[in-house]
Amino acid sequence: MIDWLVDPLQYTFMQHAFIAIVLVGVICGVTGTFVTLRGLAFMGDALSHAIFPGVVIAFVLGGNFLVGAMIAAIVVSLGIGLISQSNRLTNDTAIGVLFAGGFALGIALISAQRTYVRDLSTFLLGSILGVSRSDLMLTGAFGAVVLGTIAIFRRELTIIAFDRTFAQATGINLWAFDQLFLIVLSLAIVVSLQTVGNILVLAMLVTPAATARLLTDRFKVMVALSASIGAVSGVVGLYLSYHLSIASGASVVLVATGIFAIVFLFAPRTGVVTVAISRRLHYAHPERDDFSTEP
Amino acid sequence: MERPTPGEARPIQKTNTEPRLAIDRLGVHFGNRSALEDVSAAFGGSETISLLGPNGAGKSTLLKVIAGVLPATHGMVRFNGQPLTGHTSAIVYVPQRSSVDWTFPVSVIDVVLMALSRRRSRFLPFGGDDRERALRALDQVGMRQFAPVQIGQLSGGQQQRVFLARALVQDGDVYLLDEPFTGVDVPTQDLVVTIFDDLRRSGRTIVYATHDLAQAMKSSDQIVLLNRRLIANGPPDQTMTADNLRATFGGMAVLPVDAAHAVVRENR
Repeated sequence: MIDWLVDPLQYTFMQHAFIAIVLVGVICGVTGTFVTLRGLAFMGDALSHAIFPGVVIAFVLGGNFLVGAMIAAIVVSLGIGLISQSNRLTNDTAIGVLFAGGFALGIALISAQRTYVRDLSTFLLGSILGVSRSDLMLTGAFGAVVLGTIAIFRRELTIIAFDRTFAQATGINLWAFDQLFLIVLSLAIVVSLQTVGNILVLAMLVTPAATARLLTDRFKVMVALSASIGAVSGVVGLYLSYHLSIASGASVVLVATGIFAIVFLFAPRTGVVTVAISRRLHYAHPERDDFSTEP
Repeated sequence: MERPTPGEARPIQKTNTEPRLAIDRLGVHFGNRSALEDVSAAFGGSETISLLGPNGAGKSTLLKVIAGVLPATHGMVRFNGQPLTGHTSAIVYVPQRSSVDWTFPVSVIDVVLMALSRRRSRFLPFGGDDRERALRALDQVGMRQFAPVQIGQLSGGQQQRVFLARALVQDGDVYLLDEPFTGVDVPTQDLVVTIFDDLRRSGRTIVYATHDLAQAMKSSDQIVLLNRRLIANGPPDQTMTADNLRATFGGMAVLPVDAAHAVVRENR
């Protein structure tokens, strides 16, 4: 068992991978709390796909892919704001149009490259084993920006998620904060691209936060739990990936999904199975109405 | 517009000559549809005003324009004689209960503390005196023991009380409430009336939307009858005439029971 745990840590690339996945788990866990509470899962999915062409352009031009992704994210979030101004189109329609279009543009650009298949799979599925020291520094810096911004504007972000009309009535600029949150969300997605890949980022944003919501009614506890579940899923997922030789992104997401399933079924107060069992135990014979004896 | 925050000494601006709140030929359009048309009214301090009208009459719209949540298409709102542009903390808005996600993972005291979130340092947590202030407000609405409870576990009346406690902590000159009596139990209705009286006695202006004619007659100094246009505006005994009610709510057939009573009273 000790060997099972220690063995992967002797390789530098695995040490980097573990640090990277913990950072991503925490960053996505915290950001994801707001994503799930505001019902922005589709927006998160769309952003991650729409960022894709920016990453590819940066890759083709030999620039930094984080910068390319940021530019793409800002263009797309402004574009969604613009299209949804139209009275005839809803917000999710605008998201749908841009997300598919952006993704197609990314694939078109990368398919013109000679190393098409390998590059594509790297972008879509991540390549956690290639995390360099400078990648780690960049992930840490971007993560600090994401978490710092959320911490500084936590009250505004919470009030907007809870009640937009009240937020506006207290003088909060909804448009500015919506744009700010989209940029924060894009940053969280961008730092996750390398580790979990474009397609599975959404799971890191949604699944740990959803699991945390099932476990608590306290906002701060939910944020802490979501970050912890994200980090734990990452570490356990990486071990499984190493020992079973499966793709790391998929492995991490499957662990997160497994934790969600267990909590959904067996959580102390909200689990589907737990509630059914406790009902049987406490009210096994409701007609007797006798609470003095244990069942 | 810069506003002094409540609690500090506020300069008395022309309050003797200007009404506190003046609505001047206000019109609101959503695309081609008009929600409010040419509405004018003036509200003073120490007054409770009810906005009365059927669904879709523009009651919520009017409140939202005064609260700075919706822009006016025509006309303007003046506050102490100054055109109201954007937000002022002197105007407190209490949304309709149904506008909120009540499954949201926050406790009762968290919701009340939202009143202070724009007035405290963003780098520090709320202080003990802030929590004490929130608890005192919860005490006023009989909800102190519910402070740590998740809001989803509250009844409709309790939810309204929490909103009221938050509004008390916001401490404004004008209180705008959207349907505060809708879907709440009788003790809560009585409590809301008591709080309105306290606020009015301390010089505040209370404007609330309702479609309960009996409630409006009982607990307001001024009634604004609204059906996209202003039908009538004045003290209850002058505004609640059969003709005005018919113009507001349509033919007798659709008059609510309470309205019918009012009409009968008028015709005696």
